[in-house]
Amino acid sequence: MMLAEHGEDCRVIAGGTALMLALRQRMVNPTHLISLGQLEAMRGIAYDEQSGLRIGARTLHSEVAASPLIRERCPMLADMASRVANPQVRNQGTIGGNLCYADPATDPPSCLMALGAKVMLASTRGDRELSIEEFLVDYYTTALEPDEIVTEIQVPPVNITAGRHVRFLRTAAEHRPLINLAITITHDGKLCREARLVVGATTPIPARVTRCEDFLAGKTVTPEIAAEAASIAAADINAISDLRGSEEYRRDMVRVVTRRTICELFGLKDH
Amino acid sequence: MLASKPMPARKYVVNITVNGMAHEVEVPARRMLSDLLRDDLHLTGTKRGCETGICGACSVLLDGEVVKSCLSLAVQAKGRSITTVEGLAENGELHPIQQAFMDYGGLQCGYCTPGMIIMACALLKHNPTPTREDVRHGLNGNLCRCTGYVQIVDAIMAAAEKMK
Repeated sequence: MMLAEHGEDCRVIAGGTALMLALRQRMVNPTHLISLGQLEAMRGIAYDEQSGLRIGARTLHSEVAASPLIRERCPMLADMASRVANPQVRNQGTIGGNLCYADPATDPPSCLMALGAKVMLASTRGDRELSIEEFLVDYYTTALEPDEIVTEIQVPPVNITAGRHVRFLRTAAEHRPLINLAITITHDGKLCREARLVVGATTPIPARVTRCEDFLAGKTVTPEIAAEAASIAAADINAISDLRGSEEYRRDMVRVVTRRTICELFGLKDH
Repeated sequence: MLASKPMPARKYVVNITVNGMAHEVEVPARRMLSDLLRDDLHLTGTKRGCETGICGACSVLLDGEVVKSCLSLAVQAKGRSITTVEGLAENGELHPIQQAFMDYGGLQCGYCTPGMIIMACALLKHNPTPTREDVRHGLNGNLCRCTGYVQIVDAIMAAAEKMK
């Protein structure tokens, strides 16, 4: 109700780890903050055969990382959550808040995109459901209307046989990835039946590299195939260029990380 | 953009337990948790470093879990329990982690130390027998610009041994 009334002057606060920074830097200047801090219904993790994993938007990164359900059903997501930012932020920041901020240099969006996750939105006008691709619009921009909130993230049960989320940092002391890569595959030994490959953090929003996915589908993966797929990924992404890394450097690192990750997924020795 | 709107200094009463003591503090809505601890409760052990969530000098335990108090509003801690570095010693005796930082020289200027010690408390609670790599990974959210971390890791490993 308040959100509908105040619109852009109003911001929703969950964990606050991202919003506090934006407020400090005067990137946003709201007159009202609405805290979701007491809404226990929006926190927690469940699983059912139809929806798959259902993660409340207010669930902390540390809770995603530690959840036995997620570790069993989707270890790649738990593994990613155990490395997001730093331990303190994992105890404060929420998965829903992370998506809403749409920071390009963060890990959950690319991982969730590779898993085909869906975002549940609610407002006084009703509920709707978007794919991650539909939800993330651009650099710090989502499809959220001013009166909407994210209530839940769903990871549908899919036939994935393996997956990895990998982050590349310029230095070990950094918290913001320069590149991240999420790959999910359906495979049989070295045969790749299907692949979904997402590059994030080095693009304005995470993006699937469909030419790479199509290239891998149906192939028996060798180190040469992995290298070729990696070159496609490096060439096809919309790489940004900024103080943290030039476009050329980012493409080079995407190539390296992609090749290594594909090799690892298929149990190949990287050359 | 800046100060384009008048911002009424609306105040809220925050009931908060800090180091076992209940407090009732009236704060403006925008008060950071780190500022409530330092400026309202005069617990200056918690440091303000980068104030952008990077350095970890402001780390405190919120209901037993480590968080950065510069990334949290005081009102978000309403009804909750905080432990700062001042709350670790018992009966005048230093906490084993504090003692180990002294014994192993896990500090130089000392500014990051309260945050490091609070982080180490949380780390050893979840993993009482860490490897050096676990400790290094656990300190990912705390910066020290003096020591090179070696003696900090030594101190935490020694404290873990002692606390077994």
